[in-house]
Amino acid sequence: MALVPSFQRAASRVVIRRTANYEQDLAAVIYETLREFDLPVENKTVLLKPNLVGFDPLCEMNTHPYVIAAARESFLRLGAAQVLIGDGPAMDRDTEAIIESVRLREFTGPLGRTFVDLNLDDVKRVVLRTHASRLKELYLPKTVLGVDFLVSMPKLKTHHWAGVTLSLKNMFGIVPGSCYGWPKNVLHWAGIDNSILDISAASRPDFAIVDGIVGMEGNGPIQGTPKPCGVLVLGNDPVAVDATCCRVMGLRPEKVKYLNAAGTLLGHLDAAKIQQLGETVASVRTPFAVLDAFKELREPEREVWN
Amino acid sequence: MTPAGDNLDSQNLWSDSVFVAQFCLPLIRSAQNADGGWGFQPGLQSRVEPTCWAILASRAHESTASSGEISARGLEFLRKAQLANGSWPASAEVNRGSWVTALACWVLTADAQAREAAAAGVKWICNDWPRDSSTWRRWRARLFSHRKITEQNDSYRGWGWTPHTSSWVEPTSFALILLASARLELLPKGAARRRELARWMLYDRMCPGGGWNCGNPMVYGVAGEPLIVPTVWALLALRDEPKRPEFVMSLNWLEKNIGNARGAGSLALARIGVEAGGRKWPQGAPTIAEMYGRNEFLQNIAVASWACLASCPRHEWLPGRVAEFC
Repeated sequence: MALVPSFQRAASRVVIRRTANYEQDLAAVIYETLREFDLPVENKTVLLKPNLVGFDPLCEMNTHPYVIAAARESFLRLGAAQVLIGDGPAMDRDTEAIIESVRLREFTGPLGRTFVDLNLDDVKRVVLRTHASRLKELYLPKTVLGVDFLVSMPKLKTHHWAGVTLSLKNMFGIVPGSCYGWPKNVLHWAGIDNSILDISAASRPDFAIVDGIVGMEGNGPIQGTPKPCGVLVLGNDPVAVDATCCRVMGLRPEKVKYLNAAGTLLGHLDAAKIQQLGETVASVRTPFAVLDAFKELREPEREVWN
Repeated sequence: MTPAGDNLDSQNLWSDSVFVAQFCLPLIRSAQNADGGWGFQPGLQSRVEPTCWAILASRAHESTASSGEISARGLEFLRKAQLANGSWPASAEVNRGSWVTALACWVLTADAQAREAAAAGVKWICNDWPRDSSTWRRWRARLFSHRKITEQNDSYRGWGWTPHTSSWVEPTSFALILLASARLELLPKGAARRRELARWMLYDRMCPGGGWNCGNPMVYGVAGEPLIVPTVWALLALRDEPKRPEFVMSLNWLEKNIGNARGAGSLALARIGVEAGGRKWPQGAPTIAEMYGRNEFLQNIAVASWACLASCPRHEWLPGRVAEFC
């Protein structure tokens, strides 16, 4: 997919759905929302990339398995030939232990042929065109590069190094640990913000579904505090989805370094270029606590998004 | 797929050794690629890491001529995969050496025909210093770092996953296991000093209360949670000092957390760590066969290999001393 400067791109569409808890019929919510986008997934292979970080029986830091299962069911109902689930956790190489701890199999059924451990997949060299970081190339999983439709499915969280971790930061998980280690330290050396840009530009997720039903604030992405927010945020432009999520969290997306840069090349950051559907930002706005190092991200109290 | 086509409802009858013989070893044998190596899953391209684990597993259960031939073909793949500078890449697509060099050398040191290759690898490892802990970096960090993120002593230096980055627990452990087992003539000058610094680095990075995670025991003043996999490798790397309080504390943590192993890989490694630490595997602990029934190991060759290695009674595949009573 070609990189298109933001001023040449059509407006992006982002939908906010109010979802109070994980007991609701999320498959119906997600399916009905996806239908509004008329996505080209019929007879195609879809890869859902959730955020699976670590051992988490209470699902406080990982994308909730019910959201993943509901998205999978929805894409199958839309006619996808195959819906895979894949991630490459960054800190723990026992991916099976992580997916067992969140009980993913209980929601999706057997994972043997459905789940792809992106840490261990065959890799292909990808020359980076954005040159945001010092990395000139990355070795990325062939599954990610080969699917027809890639969906980033993060948890709504603050992050102690990047400010927030949403659908763009979630793409860190496609970088294979078998090449770069646990954690993927070479990306830290290349600069986290710039690496997020390079990886997102190289992988270009087609869609984003953010689990904001219960997010995480403070010292995320692992040691923060659970934060009920009661939303799912979906959209066809991951930058616009992330910008909207920031506004829901009471944060200024233009102050998040990597998002600000992504807004010039990968998608829309400007609220005026985002067609906002479903709930308004103001109606679901739930200010998230951030570490002092990121206090400049906070919106001024009187600034309200509609 | 179920082991040997049997119904896993009767899995309680399966001991891990039967499961290994009837399922894991056949899986490993059948997944060997034409080039002699193994991918992480059947059908994937050969990579150095799963090839090393599969060779160690095959060797540990070597009883027939065919299993010897399987290992020999694997060794041939490893020899061909070595880069000109003595290192091994994580994938054939990659043109740089990485942490898997320690694994390849570990496997090759036992092969008389590959001594030269192993020596070149050991030399590469000893020359690969982490960049974050150089004197210049430490001085600069002291002067300019406004945010104290982690609490660790950067004068202790181990090994990174990729060259010239930062020290982490697992690659440091693999390098230490190799250096402890390598014949003296393979070790370059300065290897002893590197071992010493790396051992101190591991002790320094232990989580409060014992055990290790990837190498961040404290972040922003909050204690990190230990994980089974890095804890086992660190214990194996440090097991020649079994009376050290850090070792005992970490072995205690591992033993206490056997029941929390959620993946077959963690469980197999936990068994290796506990038994190599000189303690008995508790009766009633979960079995690897039960775990297979859940996710089929995600068809992971490394996990199947660890299951094979865990079932070896005296862990003779491990270099160095193993406690007598395991």
